[in-house]
This record gives sequence, structure tokens and C-alpha cells, in this order.
Amino acid sequence: MNRVTVSRITKLGIVNFWRNRWLSVASILIMTMTMLIISLFVMMALGINKTTDKIKSKMDITVYFKDSATTDEISNLQQVLASRSDVSQVKYVSKEEAFQIWEETQKNERVKEIARKMEQNPFPRSLAIKTNNPENLSQIAYYLASKQYESIVHKISYEDNKTIIDRLLSLTAFTNKVGWLFSGIFIIISIIVILNTIRLAIYSRKEEVEIMRLVGASNSFIRMPFVVEGTLYGISACFFAMLLLWIGYLAITPLIGQLGTSAVLEAKIFFMSHLLLIFLLQFFIGITVGIGASLFSIRKYLQI
Amino acid sequence: MIEIVSVSKYYGDKICALSNINLKIEKGEFVSIVGESGAGKSTLVKLLICEEKPDTGKLLIAGRNIVQLKPYELPYFRRKVGVVFQDFKLLPQKTVYENVAFALEVCDANPQEINDKVPRILDSVGMFKRKDNRPNELSGGERQRVSIARALVHSPKILIADEPTGNLDPINAWEIIDLLSRINSRGTVVILATHNKSIVDRLKRRVVLLKNGTVVSDKYRGGYVI
Repeated sequence: MNRVTVSRITKLGIVNFWRNRWLSVASILIMTMTMLIISLFVMMALGINKTTDKIKSKMDITVYFKDSATTDEISNLQQVLASRSDVSQVKYVSKEEAFQIWEETQKNERVKEIARKMEQNPFPRSLAIKTNNPENLSQIAYYLASKQYESIVHKISYEDNKTIIDRLLSLTAFTNKVGWLFSGIFIIISIIVILNTIRLAIYSRKEEVEIMRLVGASNSFIRMPFVVEGTLYGISACFFAMLLLWIGYLAITPLIGQLGTSAVLEAKIFFMSHLLLIFLLQFFIGITVGIGASLFSIRKYLQI
Repeated sequence: MIEIVSVSKYYGDKICALSNINLKIEKGEFVSIVGESGAGKSTLVKLLICEEKPDTGKLLIAGRNIVQLKPYELPYFRRKVGVVFQDFKLLPQKTVYENVAFALEVCDANPQEINDKVPRILDSVGMFKRKDNRPNELSGGERQRVSIARALVHSPKILIADEPTGNLDPINAWEIIDLLSRINSRGTVVILATHNKSIVDRLKRRVVLLKNGTVVSDKYRGGYVI
């Protein structure tokens, strides 16, 4: 295919795009809606993942020691835990620090006063353990509950939190699955609708295709202007979806603002950092669906 | 030039459009294929332009069996066979010039070739003066002339006309037939499928009569007799 032919095909595609502008508008509109829905789902999935990660990072296990446990024993255990590959952080909390933490959260001054007057600090020493993956928490809890540490371990906090942690984990996994399922369903529905719209656009020009075949145009020459059109649908839809997403972001910012300025900043960072990803995703989906649907729809008219 | 050997075409199980057709058309011939509606004229035309394939038999054009053409070879074949239809098949949004040029554009012709050929062809069918008009601004006869010009733009050795006068009044119809005769006199094989009795009778050229999908008569210098 020479340069003249390529420019002819491109021109033909652009002219057809403009000539059938109402069908083009319909195709673009449906593609825009699809991309917007997919983008929103992807952003929601990313948001959920981020929140889940945040929750997960906050999940920890605390092992409280008996007062009889020596500092060496505790520090040995701390070293053993820190060397484990599934442990990301082990923090030692002394009796004083534990008292201080309690004091900060305790609002009742009278209770605080009584506690201060006590001769002995009632709070145990502890190790706060964070893992790479919250699923590993149970293994660590199991390890700490072994006979080896029976003499020094007073209590493991995990048992108390286990139910809530498990519920949270299954909830986030469920939300993720539902999100992807809905995205998948929407993508399929949209592809079917887009396919039909483009098929309608091509049907309206079946005579033109017939004439092209009649005068000896090759199948690729007949196909290519439709590919150009499909590309134009994809690019236009990508542009409009990005525009709507931006407008949506601007509209939603004041609402986020009600949650505090840090939330606005966080949302802005999140939106901006994923903007390129969303754009590339939309561009890829737009071009693929546009060209794919065009090629699929035209194939019927190219058979003898 | 064209040899149709034992060609049959069925639609479904019961409808036999053509049954065991045998025909030989030599270089420079003008052949009218006549018959009532449903006799098989249009089916034969469709087979000759590879729009459809026969169920049995061979269709030899210049010694090549076109039934066996690969899909990628079809466009090149169609450039060698000009076709004219009753409904003109012109693109309504293009001008006369653009309609004819389009046939060259889709076949990778360079602009120089287009600028050279299109005015010449339009002039030969008497349509150069209307080159900037759109089809809806032309009469039926003029549209058919444009359609013929488009069919001739690839300088085909064969021109197939399927009821080219079907939508035209007698005067315009005869003008088109006259044009086809002139094209034939320059050496192009013309195959005319028609049921217009007066035209066939006046032409006094070879007439092939089809009836129920079979050739019932094949006469040189014949007339329209059913």
C-alpha cells in the first residue's frame, strides 16, 4: 500500500466519520459511557485496594509478657521475630510507654489520677508485630503460642482481633471480586452495544461497500476506512471520557472537602497519580473496541 | 474468451436457477441474454462477475477458471470485467467525476493516471460537461452513462450489463444500447442481460434465450422470441 493509498484511506475514513456524524455521535457516546464506567470501576477498585492496604498495614499482633520474663528473653524473641521473612516490623513497648499510651487514650481524669498513684505499673511489656501480609498473622500467633514461649508470654492479642480481621479480609476480597465482576459485565454489554451501533453505521453504507467491491477495491482497501473510523470513535470517546472524569473530579472535590483538607489532598494525589493509567486504559480500550468492532462488523460484507 | 461449461446453480435444495449451461463467447462479440423474469439471467451475470459461485461446472475467462479464484484475486479479476446495473449503483454524495475517479482510487491508481483517464472516459460517454453534477441532478440515461464510464475506466476486455435499460424510457434506452454497441466495436466483449424485446430485435446480434435456467436457443443475428 503506497503513500497515496494510505492518505486516500485516511481521507475516506475521516469523510465517512463526518458524513455519518449522527451514527458517529451515537457510537462515541456509547463508547464514552463504557469507558467512564470502566474507569470508575477501576478507580474504585484501586481506591478499595489502597484502603485495604492501609487497613492491612494497621493490622498487627501484640504479644504481652509476664512480669517474670527477663529483658534478654524478650529481646531474643524480638530478634527471632524480626528475622522472619513474613514479619515487616517488630516494636518493643515498655511498661512506661504502655502506661503513656493508655494515659493518652484515657479521658477520665480520676481514673488517671488513681493509676498514677499506684505503686506498681500494671501494664505489661509487649512486642507489636506487623506482617507483610495480614494472612500471616495467624501463623505468628500460632508460633508465639508454642510451648517454647509459654513461660514468658502472658497474652497474645490476636485471638481477640481474629474475628474482626478475618471479616475485614473477606469483605475486601468480596468487594474486589464484585467490582471486577461488574466491570466485566459492563464491558461485555458495552461491546455488544458498540458492535451493534457500528454494525448499523456500516449497514447504512452497505451500498458503498458493494460499489467498492464491484469496481475492484481490495478487501483491505474497503476495510481500512472503517478502521480509521473505529480509531476516531475510540480517540474521541477517550477524550470525552477523560473530560467527564475531570469534570466529575472537580464536582466531587467540595464533597471530599467536607471530610477535611487532608482527604482532598489525598484524593488529588490519588486522582493525579492514576490519571495516566486511566488515560492509557481508556485509549487502549477505545482503540481496541473501535477497531475490533469495525473489523467484526465489516467482515460480513466482504464475503462473496 | 468466455467459456461456460456445464454450469448449474441451485438456491437451497429445490430452486434450480441455472441447469447445465454451456456457452462460448468469442472476442469482440455482443451477446444478448434474454428471458423472462426468473429465467436465470441475473444469476448468470452474478456468476460471471464472481458475485456468486456455481454449484457445478467451469467458468473460463481467458482460459482461467474463475470459480477457483482465491478471495485475494477477486479484486484484480473485477478490474478486468466492467459491470453495469439497472439501478446504476452510483454514490449519491459524489459528483460524476468523483464517481468515476473513485473506481481508480480504490485500485491504487496514481493521481496523474486519474487526471488523465477520467475526463477521457467521461468524454467518450458524453458526460464530461456534467462532471461536477451529483447523480440526483442527472436523468436516468445520464446516470447510466456515468455507470458505463465507471465500468470502462479500467479498460476491461469484457463489459457485462444487467438490465441497463430497465429504468429508462425508450429513447434513453436506445442511446445506452448505442453506446454499448460503440464500446463493442472497439473490441470489448459486451454481454447484455435484458428482457427488452425491441432493443434485442433492433440490435440483430447474437441472442441467447434462457428459460427456467436452461439455454433454449442461441442464435447469431437473432431476435427476441419466447
